[in-house]
Amino acid sequence: MKLELKNIRKTFGEKEVLHGISFSVESGKALGLLGRNGAGKTTTIRIIMDVFKANSGTITLDGRPFIPREHQIGYLPEERGLYPKKKVGEQLIYLAMLRGMDQKSAKANAKKWLERLEVDEYFDRKLETLSKGNQQKVQLAQTLICDPDLVILDEPFSGLDPVNSQILKDVIQEVIQQGKMVIFSSHQMGYVEEFCEDIVIIHHGEVVLGGQLSEIKKEKSNGRMRISCIGLTPTELANRLSKELPGLVSVEKVQRNQVVVCIRKGAGTNEVLKSLLDLGLELELFGRYEPSLNDIFVESAGDEG
Amino acid sequence: MKQFFTVLKFELGNYFKNKSFLITTLVIAVIAVAAVAIPPMIPGLLSTDTVEQILVDGIDEESRIGIVDPDDVIGSKLAAYTGLTDTWVLYEDAEKMREDVQSETLDGAFLIQSPTEYTYIVQNNSLHDVKSMALDQVMELNFQQTYLTEKGLTAEEIQSLMQTEIISHTEILGKDSSQSYWYTYILIFALYFLILLYGQMIAVSVTTEKSNRAIEILVTSVNPNSLIVGKVVAGAASGIIQMGVILGAAFGSYAIFRESWGNALDFLFHVPTHVWAVYIVFGILGYLLYAFLFGMLGALVSKTEDISKSSSLVVILYMVSFFIAMFGMGSSDSLLMKAASFVPFTSTNAMLCRVTMGTVALWEILLSAGLLVVSCILVGLLAAKMFRFGTLMYGNPIKFTTALQKIRSEGKTESK
Repeated sequence: MKLELKNIRKTFGEKEVLHGISFSVESGKALGLLGRNGAGKTTTIRIIMDVFKANSGTITLDGRPFIPREHQIGYLPEERGLYPKKKVGEQLIYLAMLRGMDQKSAKANAKKWLERLEVDEYFDRKLETLSKGNQQKVQLAQTLICDPDLVILDEPFSGLDPVNSQILKDVIQEVIQQGKMVIFSSHQMGYVEEFCEDIVIIHHGEVVLGGQLSEIKKEKSNGRMRISCIGLTPTELANRLSKELPGLVSVEKVQRNQVVVCIRKGAGTNEVLKSLLDLGLELELFGRYEPSLNDIFVESAGDEG
Repeated sequence: MKQFFTVLKFELGNYFKNKSFLITTLVIAVIAVAAVAIPPMIPGLLSTDTVEQILVDGIDEESRIGIVDPDDVIGSKLAAYTGLTDTWVLYEDAEKMREDVQSETLDGAFLIQSPTEYTYIVQNNSLHDVKSMALDQVMELNFQQTYLTEKGLTAEEIQSLMQTEIISHTEILGKDSSQSYWYTYILIFALYFLILLYGQMIAVSVTTEKSNRAIEILVTSVNPNSLIVGKVVAGAASGIIQMGVILGAAFGSYAIFRESWGNALDFLFHVPTHVWAVYIVFGILGYLLYAFLFGMLGALVSKTEDISKSSSLVVILYMVSFFIAMFGMGSSDSLLMKAASFVPFTSTNAMLCRVTMGTVALWEILLSAGLLVVSCILVGLLAAKMFRFGTLMYGNPIKFTTALQKIRSEGKTESK
């Protein structure tokens, strides 16, 4: 299955907040939906779920118009919310039934997911008596209880300790392997890199970067090398490169333990390596520079970017 | 529809699994049954003799009253007047009598100046002091008797003249308000509590999802109309069930013990079937109407603590309806009552009054009920729209007028 958003625009009052968002997510893959606070991620998610209507644009599933009520969608909102005064099992069954399940399967699924997330002992306990981490797991159980085709996770890891994070990671991996479409929105780039083959970065209501993460990284690394030498600090190395090899490389950034350079047009990697050796530098590291997702995000969604 | 019933079942569970709800209902119902059932079981408690004795003892406390009557207007005849059970002390000196009143040796004193004039002397005048009223009657009677005697009538003639008894009959062609007043009062009051108490609870239940953010998940799983209608109907139904249990307990036990009471509480509990029918139909519709209004308020705020502030307008609206009915009970055929019985926000109470105490045609009842049904549907739809609009809008309460404008402008955009 492939869910595709094309040119989605949304206006609140006089203000257009989404200026033509397009991206797609496929079965068995996770899409990282990234953006700064207020960029338009949640609005986009709500449009997918038909909470808001888009002013223009289309959402299709395998080429046909996507009608959310005809599909099971599991949604973990960033603003977590369930009924604190109700028993865990009772509210999970209620929410599953609202999404069309019968009581028996709702109960069975609630038990299954609580067990999988290691919180089944709280089935008959009021939600408010659980720790924050366990409440979060109940939220996740709520998201997955209806065996959704599309899973939307908004900051699923916030507030979880490392052990609970690992359980959650395993569950998300399982969901992806089961062939679900997963939209993963987070500011924790490490997790996004771990799960998502594709990313989309929204900035001020526009897609500023999108595609396969490995391709984006390759593209961003094009012509960039990282260099470090024994006996020279990155700053000293950067200074020497700027002075002695200005025709071959330009220094892009000086990092804690390396210098990132961009090879000038016409020059080749071997030529740069030879010149470095000719300078008598004792090379410690000479390799292709691949930016982290964090770097890519800052570059794309920073206001100066 | 399936979602509506799921919401209804879940929300009803919220009320019926609530211990305080169950306990309150049970305790009030038991008290109502006890109040009706226990008195007939205590021998002698309901006999009329006892009641009268209590009354006489209560009112007729013996007092010492001084009197200065230089012209002997009534002084020597006081003993002849029945009804004056106080001890009368004749004084020569008005000053001495005043001192005795001051020292509270006397409970009060009269200075008779002429057959038609006296001064009442008392230490502290109480609101409930009826001594001078008693003397008024005595002096008036004395004056009339003296006058008539002078005109030549004998004492027997005067007595028969004074004791002429007027025999009166009342032929009621319409309703007897003296019979229906009290049960109408009780029924209106019961509805008053139901609407104001449950209204707040309904508003809270609608706001709860916004305040605990469960709405974030709910809006993606359930149609907002099913959600708000389910919630309001659940709140309304539990209120009706609670009131049904309490009223049922009270009225049911009176039906059993009516004979033991010697029909003494008919004015409270003997409600004719047609009144019940009107009360149930109008009560439920009116209650639903207000329930939707409260639900709408709940949809416009996102924190439960904001509800009481926002709900004042609806509360005032209902109070108006309540007071129109309360003041209109004395004149149930007045123009105000007639008008109020057709305005959906006031018709529940006003129509009940008209049915129990006034004259009302069947078409009027049907028309008013029809208007109420239509209003319920319209307010319900508006509440659902407000709910949909107010969903996911957190923060300050949304103004009713702002919400209305937005809904209208959204409606226009959608229809384009």
